[in-house]
Amino acid sequence: MKKIDIEKLKKIAGPENVSNNLADLYAYSGDASVHQAMPQVVVRPKDISQVQQIVKYANKSKIPIVPRGAGSGTSGHAVPIDGGIVLDMKRMNKILEIVPEDMLVRVEPGVVDDDLNRALSSYGLFYPPAPASSRIATIGGEIAANASGVRSVKYGATRDYVMGMKVVLADGRLVKLGANTRVHSSGYQLERLIVGSEGTLGIIVEATMRIYPLPKYRCLGVANFDKLEDAGNTISQIIASGCQPSMLELMDGIGIVAVNKALNLGLKEVGAIILFEADGNVKSAIDYEIKKMKDICEKNNGYGIEISYDPKERQRIFGGRKKLFASLSKYQDGIICTDLADDMGVPNSKIAECAKKIHEIAKRNNVIMAVYGHCGSGVIHTKIMLDPKKAKQWKDADKVIEELYDYVHSIGGVTSAEHGIGLSKAPPWKKARKDIIPMMRAIKKALDPNNILNPHKIMDAPDDWVNATDLRYKVGR
Amino acid sequence: MPKYVKFKRSKKWETELNKCIRCGYCYELCPLFKSYNWESDTPRGKLLLIHGMITGRLEPAQEIVDKIFQCFYCKNCSDNCSAGVPVTDILTDARADLIKAGFDVEGTIVQIDEDLCSVCGVCVSLCKYEALKIINIGRDEKKVEVDKIECRGCGLCLSACPSGAITQKEGCNVTLPELHANIKEILKDAEKKLLVFACNYSIFPGMQLSKSETIVKTPYAVIVTMCSGRVAPELVLDAFEEGAWGVMVAGCPPEECDHDGNYKTRRRLILLKNILKDLNIEPRRVKLEWFSTGESAKLKKCIEEYSKELNKMGPIEAYAKR
Repeated sequence: MKKIDIEKLKKIAGPENVSNNLADLYAYSGDASVHQAMPQVVVRPKDISQVQQIVKYANKSKIPIVPRGAGSGTSGHAVPIDGGIVLDMKRMNKILEIVPEDMLVRVEPGVVDDDLNRALSSYGLFYPPAPASSRIATIGGEIAANASGVRSVKYGATRDYVMGMKVVLADGRLVKLGANTRVHSSGYQLERLIVGSEGTLGIIVEATMRIYPLPKYRCLGVANFDKLEDAGNTISQIIASGCQPSMLELMDGIGIVAVNKALNLGLKEVGAIILFEADGNVKSAIDYEIKKMKDICEKNNGYGIEISYDPKERQRIFGGRKKLFASLSKYQDGIICTDLADDMGVPNSKIAECAKKIHEIAKRNNVIMAVYGHCGSGVIHTKIMLDPKKAKQWKDADKVIEELYDYVHSIGGVTSAEHGIGLSKAPPWKKARKDIIPMMRAIKKALDPNNILNPHKIMDAPDDWVNATDLRYKVGR
Repeated sequence: MPKYVKFKRSKKWETELNKCIRCGYCYELCPLFKSYNWESDTPRGKLLLIHGMITGRLEPAQEIVDKIFQCFYCKNCSDNCSAGVPVTDILTDARADLIKAGFDVEGTIVQIDEDLCSVCGVCVSLCKYEALKIINIGRDEKKVEVDKIECRGCGLCLSACPSGAITQKEGCNVTLPELHANIKEILKDAEKKLLVFACNYSIFPGMQLSKSETIVKTPYAVIVTMCSGRVAPELVLDAFEEGAWGVMVAGCPPEECDHDGNYKTRRRLILLKNILKDLNIEPRRVKLEWFSTGESAKLKKCIEEYSKELNKMGPIEAYAKR
């Protein structure tokens, strides 16, 4: 590893914002993934000029530089696999401008999603992508991962909200991408190129995002199913029927047991549940959508259907879904929830089949997998639940990943729908997307010839995810 | 620095620590993170450090110990952890192991200046955790000793010590000098008419999600004091002097305060109101309200109503600066 001039960084960002003490280096060695690798120094810039100076220095000295938001990424995007500098962007957290007449907001990258929505709500506006981690996730991180969430079935993913961006390139230059207009046809859509780039092409230092008026009404329904397959079919039929749900979520029996254990919700322990929501300004239109979805649920043997417009009641029904990820660790003693094979995207028509396949592959390989997710937008979340202390379980997980992704890719699905590739999803993704890797490498080389920006991620990540970095668990034999 | 630490008490937590999926829902609620903003100040950061030490991957060092001893035990982290990781229990055991190994510890633990301490024992009787006790150190000589494992850093003793002998490390904006400075800074903005002192343990997390600055202006400001029992009367007077039209103290309801600090606040504010009359300040310029965890809507309503009342009252004549 290259030696880093800490004093120089302290001069740029202030001594109180640069740390290379062991506590900080170890704390910044991980995100929400299974990976762990220590940086050599952590720097917390406050403005664009500081970011430019730090990047210029890193480029000249060929030191890796890894931007980091909330560290809620699940695939190791912010894990500094080659050491170097971690840039903690959370201090750049100002909402710079809310412009209702242009329906846009201009923010620094460290603004937290929920904070933005809190500020927007007083204008009767909102920023819709809403990943489950919106309580901590930063807008910069959401752009870098192209995050989406429960409302994406109607409102789309982060990429659909990016209008413009200020980005610091690998040589320290500042560029302004995109425009303040709702459409533009003026050259390459470079702001879109940065979306999902996971910090490998540039550092997002400002973003102009589209916003929406808050709907006057939201109505949420929940239906129970004895068979997971019936729930899967319901989802694809709802989408195909022309309904416009603002949320269409699935949670399987394993997920239900886990949230009941963790949160004491007293949900009926059935094969699967579906949450469906419609929103808008005309109540009769919402009633129509909800009725249509309810009918489809019933046609597919859905029962125990509850429907509510009341915010408190909606919160109660939805609470379990929001905390499902963490709750899964409660499913069974000795078994923990790992962020692996966590967010494949599949065509709506394949949801039922895919859900069945996931349980089958998990069983064959001695791990437990829950199936849930924003299935309306084709996102299936799973987590591999295993005993992290047993080395064999990691081999089992590796086998699951290979088998599962081979299947997902064979039905026209994608490796990641909303969490990104990072380290842990790189091997199956590389296997499936051999055709585009040379193009991505050419872009990376053109923009970052010294390979300093979050190196060895996505197409350049190691082929063996288990040994790519230390695992953050102590694995025995 | 001790060379070898036996993690006798904390070793048992490895399985629980593995359950942390590092979602980070704990850190947006952590007052330490809000003060310092480093990942190592977050509950999940501390858990990672402890996991590293007990599994032998991370060698204990003073800078790690310093982080582990920073916690106010508000338990917002463990109460909100859906993986059910008992964060503060793990922290307490790690602290015990590190103290046993001989590390110097300070963090959020209170310190007693023996030169100033008169060993009156006021602090001993009010500490609910029995973290303070009077010990004999010689014939007719006594001192107050702090149990560094049991001290929760709530700071009730700090605001009650008549000699001002108890201190706490600065940096978290909860010591008296820091609170005074904070009041002054906030009230420089002439738009701020109402100052709310909020307890971190009950109501505050419900209102705040992170430190993002917002462009929405409010006629009030909130200062988190940890326990409402830390709101010393001079802080209220200070706010008036700096131009506040009113002060609201938001604490836990009776029976719900972890430290019984709310009762102390109630008593103090009754006495303060009597003094206010002598100072020609209407007693209703100070308001004490109880809020349970999750009652942020009630807090918002109370703030709005009290703001309206203050608007009718106008500035305090005795301090009519604005």
